[in-house]
Amino acid sequence: MGLIREVIPRLEGAADAKGGSSRPGAMAVRGGDFLFVSGLTAADPQAGESTAGTTAGETRQVLITLERLLGAAGSSLDKVVKVNVLLDSMLEAPNMNEVYARFFPDPPPARTVCGARLPPGVKVMIECTALA
Amino acid sequence: MRDVIAAPTAGLDLRRHYGHHQSAAIRAGGLIFCSGVLPIDPETGERLHGTLTSEAHVIFNNLKLLLESAGSSLDRLVQVHALIYDSIEYDVLNRVYRQYVANGPPARTVWTAQIEAGFKVELDVIAAA
Repeated sequence: MGLIREVIPRLEGAADAKGGSSRPGAMAVRGGDFLFVSGLTAADPQAGESTAGTTAGETRQVLITLERLLGAAGSSLDKVVKVNVLLDSMLEAPNMNEVYARFFPDPPPARTVCGARLPPGVKVMIECTALA
Repeated sequence: MRDVIAAPTAGLDLRRHYGHHQSAAIRAGGLIFCSGVLPIDPETGERLHGTLTSEAHVIFNNLKLLLESAGSSLDRLVQVHALIYDSIEYDVLNRVYRQYVANGPPARTVWTAQIEAGFKVELDVIAAA
């Protein structure tokens, strides 16, 4: 079958879901028409280290990384079709939503938000599917 | 090409009722990606907390409305993520689930998570357009 499967190169200095660069997974993979993005957590783009912070701050950092990653893959935030947001606590959902609304254009993608046990210290993890 | 699927009824517009920055569903690449479906009254937008069984019935009804308004249906589900508040209710979910996806059921994953507003179940699905 001729569907394209392309691993998108890591962003320079970006940490990943485990806060390091050693995770055996790509940040994003293109498959057919879609780009599948791994769960991203807040990371200092310079140091590549996880930056613990508030839910709002981490959401902002994750979405900045996501925007860069999508751009590097030839996609963009307005091509995102579905987002899954995992929160350390659902009580923080309004704080996430407020920052989130500043990044995603109108009309926004489909989305599911839930509370989950995340890696230590992580408050927000965001994964998504976009049109490539 | 990315088509926005609007909420099929006024009550299911979670943006309007709860400020969630999300579309009800997006159609792209022959698939329909739905936002997490919750036990919300489809007319009033009121939260219908109940047992897992009662919440799941409301959710499947809402999902049916959403998919049918997008030209799809429960028969065309491809993948289902079922979030439940406690894995002890797994069998309870299955009893309801079977009533709505009887034949050729979709791929499915069930896991335990914190669901918004203290609901007991939420469905996150992808369907064929």
